[in-house]
This record gives sequence, C-alpha cells and structure tokens, in this order.
Amino acid sequence: MTRYIIRRLLGLVPTLLIIVTVSFFVIRVAPGGPFAREKAIPKQVLENILKKYHMDEPLWKQYGRYLLNALRGDLGPSFRLKDFDVTTLILRSLPNSMVLGLLSLSLALTLGVATGIVSATRQNSGADYAFMAVAIIGVTVPLFVIGPILVFVFALRLKWFPTSGWWLSGDKWTTVIMPVVTLSLPYFAYLARLSRASILDVLRSDYVRTARAKGLGEGTIMRRHILKGALLPVVSYLGPAFAGIVTGTVVVETIFRVPGLGLFFIQSALNRDYTLIMGTVVVYSVVLLVMNFLVDIVYGIMDPRITYR
Amino acid sequence: MGEPADRNQFDQPIKGVSLWLDAWRRLRKNRMAVAGLFLFGLYVLVSLMAPVLPIQSYKHQVLEHQYLPPSFTKNAGQLLYERRERELLAEATAAGAAALGEEARQELALLRQQLADEVRTFDGVEVRINEKRYLLGTDSLGRDVLARIVYGSRVSIAIGIVGTLTAVLIGIVVGSLAGFIGGAFDYLAMRFVDVMYGLPYMMLVIIFMAIFGRNILNLFLCLALVSWLTTSRVVRGQIMSLKNAEFVQSARIVGAGTGRIIVRHLLPNILGVVAVFTTLQIPSFILLESFLSFIGLGVQAPMPSWGSLVRDGVDGMDNYPWMLFFPALTMTIFLFSMNFLGDGLRDALDPQSKNKL
Repeated sequence: MTRYIIRRLLGLVPTLLIIVTVSFFVIRVAPGGPFAREKAIPKQVLENILKKYHMDEPLWKQYGRYLLNALRGDLGPSFRLKDFDVTTLILRSLPNSMVLGLLSLSLALTLGVATGIVSATRQNSGADYAFMAVAIIGVTVPLFVIGPILVFVFALRLKWFPTSGWWLSGDKWTTVIMPVVTLSLPYFAYLARLSRASILDVLRSDYVRTARAKGLGEGTIMRRHILKGALLPVVSYLGPAFAGIVTGTVVVETIFRVPGLGLFFIQSALNRDYTLIMGTVVVYSVVLLVMNFLVDIVYGIMDPRITYR
Repeated sequence: MGEPADRNQFDQPIKGVSLWLDAWRRLRKNRMAVAGLFLFGLYVLVSLMAPVLPIQSYKHQVLEHQYLPPSFTKNAGQLLYERRERELLAEATAAGAAALGEEARQELALLRQQLADEVRTFDGVEVRINEKRYLLGTDSLGRDVLARIVYGSRVSIAIGIVGTLTAVLIGIVVGSLAGFIGGAFDYLAMRFVDVMYGLPYMMLVIIFMAIFGRNILNLFLCLALVSWLTTSRVVRGQIMSLKNAEFVQSARIVGAGTGRIIVRHLLPNILGVVAVFTTLQIPSFILLESFLSFIGLGVQAPMPSWGSLVRDGVDGMDNYPWMLFFPALTMTIFLFSMNFLGDGLRDALDPQSKNKL
C-alpha cells in the first residue's frame, strides 16, 4: 500500500508538469496580450512594462522562471489587478470555493445515499417515484438554469433566502444555502440513482438472503451487508463527482456572485490576465489530481478485492 | 423447396431479425423514448424551418416595445395603451381622484391614434409596428422572445449536432489508426488523450474562447478540440477487439492495405456503436455551448442561443420573469426528451443494461 501511494504521488509530477507547460505556452502564444488595449500605449512605456514582467526575455527563459517560482509558491503578479500577486488572490478566494464545494459534496453524498436507501427498500412506492422524479430533473437540467429558477422562486418570490452576499465575506450564514443546494443537486440526483440501482442489485444477492436466513434484523443487514457492497460504485463515482463539483463551482459562483476561485477564473479569462489564468488552472489541476488520488486510496481500503502493489 | 436455413422445423419461413430492426422494435415499445424522439424531431424541424415560419425577426429592435408581457390576444399597441392607462390611473389615485381627469383622457385618446398610425421600415418593408403580436413577450431591446427562442434553438442545436459530427470524425480517424496500427502511435495518441482528460476541459474551452476571440467559428473549433477524446477511445477499443477477426485476416491475405481494411471492413462494423454513443453526446455539447454563452464567451449578440437567452432572462427576472422562463422551459424540454431518447436507445441496443440506471 505504501509503495503504491508513493508511486502514485510520483506519477502526479509529470502530469502536473505537462499541464503547467501546456497552459503556459498556449497562453503566451495566444494573440492579444494583456497590455493590448484600445488605446495604443507609447512604445517606451510598453517596453518598460514588458521589462518589468520579464516578458522581453526569450520564451524558454520565462518558462523556466515561471516553473522555479511556482515551486516556491509564487505564481507571479496579476497583469490586470495592479498590486496583487496571483498567489494572494488565489489564497483569498480558494477558501470560498472550498467551502462551497465541500458542503455541496457532503450534502449530495448524505442525501443522495439516504434517498437511494429509501427508494430501494420501498421500491415503486410514492416516495420512490417522487425521489426519482427529482433525481431526473437534477440530472437533466443544467446548473445555470436550475440556479436562476431557484433564486426566482425561493429568494425573489418567497423571500426565504437572501438573493446575494456570501457567508465568509461577512453576510448571514443563510447566504450559503442557495449556492450549495444548487451545486449539490445534480450530484445528489446521480448519487441517488446510483445507490438505488446498486442497493437493488445487492438486495437480490445470495449473501443478503443468507443473512436474512440467519435471522439478522433488517437494520443490521442494511448496515453490515448491503451498504458495504452497494456503496462501492458510489465511492468510485466520487472522483468524477468531485471533478464535476470543481467545474460546477465556476458555474455556481458566476450565478450567485460568490467571490471564489471560479469567479476569478472567469474574470481573468475575460480580461486575458495570463498569470491569473495560469495560476487558477494550476490550482484546479492540483485539486483534481489530489482528489482522484484520495478516491483511489479510499476505494482500495473499502474493496477487499483490490490490492495495490 | 427453399434453402433449409430459411425454414424452421414447422416448415415456416424464418425472417432474419437484424440488430437494428430488433432495437427499433424495443425502442418503439418504450413510450418515453418515442416521445423523446418525436420532440427531438419537432425541435429540429422548427429550427430548420425558422426562416420560413411566420415569426418575427430575432434582431429587429423596437425600443418602445421593451419588456412587453406575453399575450396571445392583444397586440403591442393595446399592451402599450393599457400600460400608459395603468400609469395614469395610478397617478390619479395617488392624487386622490377616483377616475381619470379630462387631461389624461385626452392624452390616452391621442396615444391610441398615434399607436395605430406608427409605421417603421425594416429591411425596406413598411411595418405597422404596434400591430405586432408578441406571444412570449419582448426583451430589453423590444425584440420578440419567441423569435429569439426559435433562432436560439437553431444555433444551439446546430452546435450540438456539428460538434458531435466533428467529434465523430476526428475520434474515428485517431481511434481507428491508434487501434489498428498500435505501437508508438497508439501510445502517443492515448497519452495525449490522458493528459487532456487530466485538464478540466470546461476550463480549457473557456481559456480557448477567451484567447482566440468569441465567434461562432472559434466555438466550433474549440468544441471539436476537446470533444473527440472519448469517441477516439471508444473507437480504438472496438477496433482492437475486431482487428484480429477472421474477416480482417482474410482481407489482409487477399492483399488489402491498412486504409482499405479500416474503411471497408472495420468501420462498417463499429459504426452502430459509435452512432449511438454520439447521439448520447449531443446534449453535453449543447450544455457546454449554452454555458459559454451564459457567461458571455459563446455566441455574440444579436445572435441568440439558449445560454445567452437564459443570461438575458436572469438579468431582469424579478420584473420580467417571462424572459427567463420561456428559454429555460424550451431548454429543459429538449434536454428531457434527449435524456429519455438516449436511455431508450441504450436499452434497445443493449437489453442487458436495462434497470442498471
């Protein structure tokens, strides 16, 4: 197991290097630099700006400098937001995105699995149909349609929740609810369907019949026998779910104006703020790679049939 | 006497049931899938016929007509008249009067006349603008929401279909070469696919659009760039499972070259799987495009798409909810029908997968 973990960790390095390299060169080669404005900047001024940001050096030198600095945690200055460096901006916005993402994931996971259990044990009941109807909506309707509709109904018309603001920036904690519910809906839906299907599968298996024949209580069978087997597909879906949540934060942050990494990412993309784009992409990639790695390890611990070498 | 193979033990003729006929029969029994297919057809038909349908232009602006509510019975002039009447009534009530004053009544009579007479020229044609009817209301620039939704569907569905087609083309070329030739090319191609998978691809698309500018051609290019990855893997797997089959060996013995074997012998065998797989992908392209348009990186005004329509609707949803609801509803119905159709297709072609999810 330890050897496997170390090997996987080493495997992350080249992937990360490729991602950084690709994003660096794609962005540098692209037309329309960060200083291309409507109004032409005097030549001398432009030269000085380029010099300040080391953009007059050959490309390979800039690349080397960027890599070395990135290793030290310095992702360079932002080209558009004066007096800010990328690392500060990211550190400031990342916690907001983390809170949003983790809350949504835990909500989707707990509610999804609970719904799956109820639906599977009471198959074809009214509750089952109702849950699965919600689940189909959640799987089908995209975030940027569901989000505004929820805002319209629950914030503007019913006035249950505030329409704007963000908990960590000093507003009421209720501001968290709408973004988190919106973001978790598709993953809740998918997890509910997934766990329902896999619990139904396990319910028909021989070992569950054996457990029943032994006279075990339904609660014990559910906890010790059914869930243990049925949750494996759920765990393996956590990797893709997390990736989806990460990109989903970008969507939800733009809808609800949550001051997270996603909002910065979109803004930097619209502004062509090269260093900020690169920085956010690198951070997103690291988060995704690390999470996939963790999911693999959890999967190995949960499934006795898998041994890592 | 017929051939023995064509008759069963009771001497009845046997008609072969092909995979496709069989699948079609199963699909037909699935009522939701048939409804999905029907709706998808309807959407495509309406989008294709948009220019000849009796709807208004999606870009003609009548600024006086901004934010008119949806109405099936009243034309724009009546709505404007009623709006002014309500305003005057509110003023009168605020001033303490029970009914409209003489001055206000004169103003309304004048307004009715003006509204009836107003004529505007669009593309060289004179139009009595206040006789226009806006079934689904108008937007912030006085454009017909219905027309914008129809033309938006056209753009969104076109992008979904064209994106899928490019994905299939590139995916088939790369996947079949990688699967058939193998070796270093296979290794490099698949490592490239792996790396691309590692990148959060929506972000890749956003960066691409931000860098190379926002127009519809770039949108197609950048969708094509990220879209073929999965297809190429599917095709590669299929080709690898077939490439040592006897019919391929016999083709090789007869002297067929690599290209001929791939195009004439392997591709026809895998086309079905690929076709179904790609149909399932259409909604994901539409979603990607809509999201890009939603954040302002997709199609550019005045061209509408579902994403930009939802965006416009969000901005004014408190006072003008129809601008959000109708585009959202259009999109939702489409996605639902594609979803049911996709599930039905999968079940029909692979009965084993039934009840799996």
